[in-house]
Amino acid sequence: MKLLLLLGDGMIVTVQLFLLTLIFALPLGLIISFGRRSKNFIISGLTGIYISIMRGTPLMLQLVAVYFGPYYIFGGKIDRFTAAVVAFALNYAAYFAEIYRGGIESIPKGQYEAGEVLGFTKSQVFFKIILPQVIKRILPAISNEVITLVKDTALATAIGVSEIFRAANNEMSRIASIKPLFVAGLFYYIMNLVVAQAFGFAEKKLNYYK
Amino acid sequence: MKMIEASNIYKSFGGKTVLAGITLEVNRGEVVAIIGPSGSGKSTLLRCINLLEKIDKGKITVENEIMVTTNSHGKAEYADKKKLRQIRLKIGLVFQNFNLFPHFNVLRNITEAPVSVAGISKEEAQQTAIELLEKMGLEDKANAYPCELSGGQSQRVAIARALALKPDVLFFDEPTSALDPELTNEVLKVIRKLAEERMTMVVVTHEMAFAREVADRIIFMDNGVIVEEGSPEELFGNPKNERTKMFIKGFNK
Repeated sequence: MKLLLLLGDGMIVTVQLFLLTLIFALPLGLIISFGRRSKNFIISGLTGIYISIMRGTPLMLQLVAVYFGPYYIFGGKIDRFTAAVVAFALNYAAYFAEIYRGGIESIPKGQYEAGEVLGFTKSQVFFKIILPQVIKRILPAISNEVITLVKDTALATAIGVSEIFRAANNEMSRIASIKPLFVAGLFYYIMNLVVAQAFGFAEKKLNYYK
Repeated sequence: MKMIEASNIYKSFGGKTVLAGITLEVNRGEVVAIIGPSGSGKSTLLRCINLLEKIDKGKITVENEIMVTTNSHGKAEYADKKKLRQIRLKIGLVFQNFNLFPHFNVLRNITEAPVSVAGISKEEAQQTAIELLEKMGLEDKANAYPCELSGGQSQRVAIARALALKPDVLFFDEPTSALDPELTNEVLKVIRKLAEERMTMVVVTHEMAFAREVADRIIFMDNGVIVEEGSPEELFGNPKNERTKMFIKGFNK
């Protein structure tokens, strides 16, 4: 359908926004969760404030702040798509950080101790023993956030990013038909089906142990 | 050379003194059993020697390598990380709750440390692992996951895992306390076999009959001090200290 071709670019932008956000937010969230658990109270305090602000204010507000902020603060310019990725990544990293932290703190101390007495370094204990177990535990919570992210990409329309929702909205006005909106809705739904399948598959693969 | 020498160990948690001047030594090929009521500090002592806790004061050496000593200010000073890593490889610890790695199968639980810590080749590590499993009677469980094992099987895998690094001394922190009574025997059997092979071991246990039968020396601890120590015959047959007598009596039902 010609409509699909017209909206195709928007779909691509949505998927790019989604993937880039995850690529940055997933590792960043882990780093922030380390900061939150740090014995240094300045680091843990600062990360705590960061998480609180990211989760306590609307993502749309953060989008606008990241896009317009540089201009008002020091006359700089940032491109729309970059601003969207930055805002989404910073926001989702905060949510991931809390999920990681919960997962890490749920691993029994004995796992750390067994690793230590066997001579593993702290970093070996974390990456070989703790993190794999954490991933299995947090998969459901992470999948929730990822599904929300699929839909949140629509918020980027607030700063003029041409993702699928904006494209559909514009097309809808242009041809005076609700069809584009329907196509966009279908696109989100299918994208989320794929995400849900992927996580279901991952959970199954990790079910080789309890 | 003494395998383990601990002098005047002091350890407090918060305001509470858990170890109040412990001095003991372990000789090569010896099996030492540590008995005593809960809260006597037995586990803490084992954990301190295995570097899971840091002592406040005292000296610990493993095969003449100094792990920790007391400096001129009266505070415990530990050897550098590299030295401590070397010492760690000489001692092994078996936990009450096994602490197997649930995401690795039995074989990988046993081979992971030799490969990643001791730099042993995967093939050699697997060979050693299978031999150890055969010794434990668990060769058919090599590909099983910890969640599929019984408590007794898990603990035997934990022992194999500790032995894979070929430690000179093996410590056991109440190895059978978390097991159903029917399952303790299979674990005690393994420890007995290791004793026959002259493996140097320190076992914290509540299994009095076992301690009596397998240990060369028994140490009775209470309230953070060693109350009495001696051969099983001496300690169980002719305890000198009142506290020891009371404790032993509680088990001779």
